[in-house]
Amino acid sequence: MRDPFDLAAGWVQEHVLLPFLYQVGWMRWEEVSYGWALAAVYGLVQVAATLALCTPLEAWRPVERWADRRAVTVDILYTLISRVGVLPLVTFVLFYQVQVNLTGWLVDHGWVPPMLELLVPPLLGHPIVTFFAYAAILDLADYWRHRLSHVFRWWWALHALHHAQEQMTFWSDDRNHVLDDLIGFVWFMLIALAIGVPPLQFPLLVLVLRFIESLSHANARLSFGWLGERLVISPRFHRAHHGVLAAGQSSCNYGGVLPWWDMIFGTADFSRDFPPTGDPEADAALRHGGYLAQQWSGLRRFGRALVGRA
Amino acid sequence: MPVRRLLPLLFALLGAALAAPRPAAAEGLAFVMNSGAASISVIDMSTEKPLRRIPVLREPHHWALSPDGRSLIIGDSSGNSLFFLNPMTGAVQRRIVVADPYQLGFSPNGRFLTVNGLARNQIDVYAAASMKLLHRFPIRSMPSHLAYSPDSRRLFVTLQGTNRLVAIDLQAMRVLWDRPVGNTPAGVLWQNGKLLVCDMGTDYVAEVDPEDGKVIGHVVTEKGAHNLFRSPDGKTIWVNNRVSGTTTVLDAATLRPLRTYHIPGGPDDLFFAPDGKVWITRRFAESVAVLNPATGKFDLIDVGRSPHGIFLSPHAPSPDRLAAAR
Ligand SMILES: [Zn+2]
Ligand SMILES: [Zn+2]
Repeated sequence: MRDPFDLAAGWVQEHVLLPFLYQVGWMRWEEVSYGWALAAVYGLVQVAATLALCTPLEAWRPVERWADRRAVTVDILYTLISRVGVLPLVTFVLFYQVQVNLTGWLVDHGWVPPMLELLVPPLLGHPIVTFFAYAAILDLADYWRHRLSHVFRWWWALHALHHAQEQMTFWSDDRNHVLDDLIGFVWFMLIALAIGVPPLQFPLLVLVLRFIESLSHANARLSFGWLGERLVISPRFHRAHHGVLAAGQSSCNYGGVLPWWDMIFGTADFSRDFPPTGDPEADAALRHGGYLAQQWSGLRRFGRALVGRA
Repeated sequence: MPVRRLLPLLFALLGAALAAPRPAAAEGLAFVMNSGAASISVIDMSTEKPLRRIPVLREPHHWALSPDGRSLIIGDSSGNSLFFLNPMTGAVQRRIVVADPYQLGFSPNGRFLTVNGLARNQIDVYAAASMKLLHRFPIRSMPSHLAYSPDSRRLFVTLQGTNRLVAIDLQAMRVLWDRPVGNTPAGVLWQNGKLLVCDMGTDYVAEVDPEDGKVIGHVVTEKGAHNLFRSPDGKTIWVNNRVSGTTTVLDAATLRPLRTYHIPGGPDDLFFAPDGKVWITRRFAESVAVLNPATGKFDLIDVGRSPHGIFLSPHAPSPDRLAAAR
């Protein structure tokens, strides 16, 4: 069966991107443009699916009710930029190029490039299992990235932007400082290169994982039950991480999709029930400012932390 | 145990049943390289039904048949591997590690195997028999398709990123010339002492003099001329036009267009079946079109994401016969 989202991306490629590239004489980028079309269509589907599922959920069992929801709109912008816009293109193209060159160089020097399927040969031919193996490793790596971003003052200065939101919704997942995103991307890239992650091979499964991450920020009184919460991260679990008391250097529940790393490394806290969110130390720009105001404020905090005056 | 003694008898009976003559089934397997799904679709040519998918590592694009016909070699570019398949069964024979094998082809005399690394800007020439790397040509940029002179002395590679065509002397292992040939050159074919080069950024095929790389003429097809193939009878040349979604058939002798077929979905590679039908991969539509040239109608077969290269093995036994042989 043909995948409807792939066909949608193919339609965009055939009827919008190709004629444009042909017109301006950039046909050499046609494979890249198809990669972007795929990433963007799946990004859009992610946003649409999250919107369709989380909106009723937030209306049904909200943790908080706000008269003025203006602070939420900037998070919508963050989400669109991150999932549909330039970011998929940059990350896909950049990662792909670096990966091809690194692995090709390794081959030239008589090394076999790292690849999970080659380390664990039974995985070859079982793409779904392979995907979950890759996803678990990346989730573990992300746990440590996130945990360290709370430890170092300069890094926390950037990550505080994510925590400054007092009206946390399912849109808040992508609310990050661009430098924090950049560090996250380099971090991801190093791990992904070490295990040979295939870019863009499993867009549907990535969609599911990203949905779980968005859902975990939802303004919804939702827990997956005693066992469920120990299998997949719930809104209740991640909200504890965003709680006002947990902001800063000693927090809990750093995981993205799987709570196991918090359980293994002793940072899991299943006891907190839907605290108010935010970072009491964040300035007004970081809390309620527009996109650029937030970025600028984060950058200034970052600079101050670097010179040791924060 | 009596059961244990019965087993050989059972197997013998089973063997006899399987070896019994069966009605002759139509034959043939099609192999489609799903570049975006890390797999190769195997299709029963007689029923046009997908049979299974062979997993590869990352990104299978193009293929070459070994000179002895025993191996279908598929380049998995970002998987840095060549997969050797039995073209009669699809069984994987072996995998060898090679940097970025995007496009590959044996010289007509079977001595050389050229492997283009599109993402790494390199052209590697191997000794076909030993798979020893004879020479690497680092080149700018994006080497994509290749052709040889019929005497196997010269190799021609299109450079998609710099709009050029490069000629390599395979005796001296040196670059003869490197000249501009239009916009985003892709497919290249030796035809009647000339080179035909598809210019994907234009609506034409350039005619190039193989001696010096000068463009001596243009054959207008349609937008996004991407790749071209000579029919088995040598009478026609088929050009896939990526942007307009068409296939133009040229008279091989005069290069005049004879007919245009509408094949939307980014037509890429094609292969001629013995029954006269033409199998075409639709890069952006996750399918293969099986075109009946007489009527212009085509059937569609579902394959994986971004199908690129296609190879037909018309004499491969049908799946029933294969199962029987097992
Ligand atoms: Zn945090
Ligand atoms: Zn969060």
